[in-house]
Amino acid sequence: MKEAAAPTRERLGIAASRGIAVGPAIVLERRDIGFARRKIAAFECDAEVARFEAAVVDAQASWRRTLAGVDSKRPELAILEAYVQLASDELLQREVSAQIRVHRRAAEWAVSAAVVELATRLFAVDDPYIRERGHDIEFVGRQIVRALLATASGSVEGERESLRVLEPAIVVASELSPADAAAMMTMPVLGFVTEKGSRTSHTAIMARALGIPAVLGLGTSISDVAPGQLLIVDGTRGAILLDPTDDELDAADRLSEGARVVGERLRARRAEACVTADGERVELHANIGLEAEAPLALEHGAEGIGLYRTEFLFVDRRTPPTEEEQYEAFAGVVRAMNGRPVTLRTFDLGGDKFVSSLPLPAELNPMLGLRAVRLQLARPELLLEHLVAMVRASAFGEVRVLVPMVGSVEELEAVRALLDRAFERVAARNLPAAMRLALGAMIEVPASALIAGHLASAADFLSIGSNDLVQYALAVDRGNRDLAHLATPFHPAVLRLMANVVEAGHAHDRPVSVCGEMASDPMGALLLAGLGVRSLSMEPAAIPRVKAALATAASRELRDVAARALAMPRASDVVALLREAFGVRVRDVLDASEASVSASEASVSASEASVS
Amino acid sequence: MSATARGRFTIVNERGLHARAASKLVALASSFPCEITLSNENESAVTAKSVMGVLLLCGARGTWLDVEAVGERAAEAVEAIGRLVASRFGEDG
Repeated sequence: MKEAAAPTRERLGIAASRGIAVGPAIVLERRDIGFARRKIAAFECDAEVARFEAAVVDAQASWRRTLAGVDSKRPELAILEAYVQLASDELLQREVSAQIRVHRRAAEWAVSAAVVELATRLFAVDDPYIRERGHDIEFVGRQIVRALLATASGSVEGERESLRVLEPAIVVASELSPADAAAMMTMPVLGFVTEKGSRTSHTAIMARALGIPAVLGLGTSISDVAPGQLLIVDGTRGAILLDPTDDELDAADRLSEGARVVGERLRARRAEACVTADGERVELHANIGLEAEAPLALEHGAEGIGLYRTEFLFVDRRTPPTEEEQYEAFAGVVRAMNGRPVTLRTFDLGGDKFVSSLPLPAELNPMLGLRAVRLQLARPELLLEHLVAMVRASAFGEVRVLVPMVGSVEELEAVRALLDRAFERVAARNLPAAMRLALGAMIEVPASALIAGHLASAADFLSIGSNDLVQYALAVDRGNRDLAHLATPFHPAVLRLMANVVEAGHAHDRPVSVCGEMASDPMGALLLAGLGVRSLSMEPAAIPRVKAALATAASRELRDVAARALAMPRASDVVALLREAFGVRVRDVLDASEASVSASEASVSASEASVS
Repeated sequence: MSATARGRFTIVNERGLHARAASKLVALASSFPCEITLSNENESAVTAKSVMGVLLLCGARGTWLDVEAVGERAAEAVEAIGRLVASRFGEDG
């Protein structure tokens, strides 16, 4: 049995987005039971207990209505009777009452906490039947909380209130959707911390794009954070500190000020081209998910958009976006980039990205299922409309089309045929458009890395998606916290696949870019440049740092180091090699703290190598 | 004046204090006005009027169960629970 140690004020999670933030917490409960954790005064206790009791009656009444409305002999209905009994269970009532009277928590919070307490005890029992009762009590608790919310606000159903932050604050949540993260753009969110999520989850990517410090994957260690509680979020180190002392607050201020100064200095060089020490050009582009991020990309010196994640248009709505809505969004980005190329990735849905506007059947292995280009080709009318919107947007500047997760030449050919039809449709409507759009294949599956030559001849360009390539090549679920240390792009197998793609691109005279996580890590970028990649795409905030890092090394040296890395047996060897070759220089040009971060990130993702 | 009654019983039915047994015990206990608490080697003093409490006892066959009742009809309650336990909670076989 693991006994909880004395609670420390520091909690460790995954460093998802660098930077330091200090502020009061705003606590959001999980999506299925959305309420604010509220502390109550002594005089409110009786009223909260009464609210709880009334909610139990309401929940029981709704189960009884269901029972009365159907043929009562169906065995699965017995569970409803059990729920009715559980809801008025004396142990639950005592626990909730204690939560209200002793811990001074409002009824919703009290029920939620009591259920966690009871379910934890039930889950600890070495008996599958009794563990199952843990799930029952969780369900019953949620229904009681719903009943509480229904009487409080008049609205019941499930979805959490959309994120609303009025005062500068740190958002604490079980998990945040990319849409939540996107909503933060217009709100005074200082930072965020979540129980779930990993460095490569889309929420983390959005956080980095927005430059908001974030620590994810903290697990239940943040379940006791109360609203208004002051905390420091150290997104660089992957730690949060509760109730900081004055000294700790001063130190955080100094760190965040230092990071700001370095950022300013690097951004000041945004107009300068990215070149290696001997003058070889490497293009730096931005990954964005929202039209509103385009100015952010320009501000950080992006030469174009290397990856526009169009799937965000499908999020948080009931039906897929119309052609017109898509066209507006695409044209908006193209216009904002003012002549710079914009790569639109066709909607990358399915797998770990599900949206209500495109319901998909449940799968046992969604990452190996109907996702990305497979899903697109299964819904050709939807893809065609999508491509028509892209073709129309090309009236305003250079548009490239990128197809995610291509696994075969046939898939790319099928999309090409639809793109041709999209051109015909646009021409038939006499709408302006470019003569031709470059069509690219995203290399994310080991199979496509191995037939990169064939794909290169069928495509106009190739783009390596390092996150998914790592996941598929190493058979590591990128959302799994326990496997996060295995998901490293520095694994020699991944490097070999990438080298194969770069070589195929050169042989067929097709540009090869990298648009995954790896490109935004200074060490990763140096290695990629050494492998011969001349175009990198990353979250806007990373561009200045990568530019500064690439300027420290000459192309010949980069090539030598990459060649040695390819021959290494272990990811940790590759990381050690990179650190030895470039560590000092990179540290000199970035800030000391920034460089040590990228080194530690590399070592964390490579293995459990010791970090200085 | 509040009477206190105690008893120790051995669980003899095949499946121990499981779903059906637990809810029968709770239903019986709830029919008495007195406070009834249960203890065994796993848990001390859970209320006999909570299915969850009874489940947390994880009373397996062959283990003992302490029953303590305080208040009106305490002795009667302990005796009734003892009978229920001895009757294998009406379990077949």
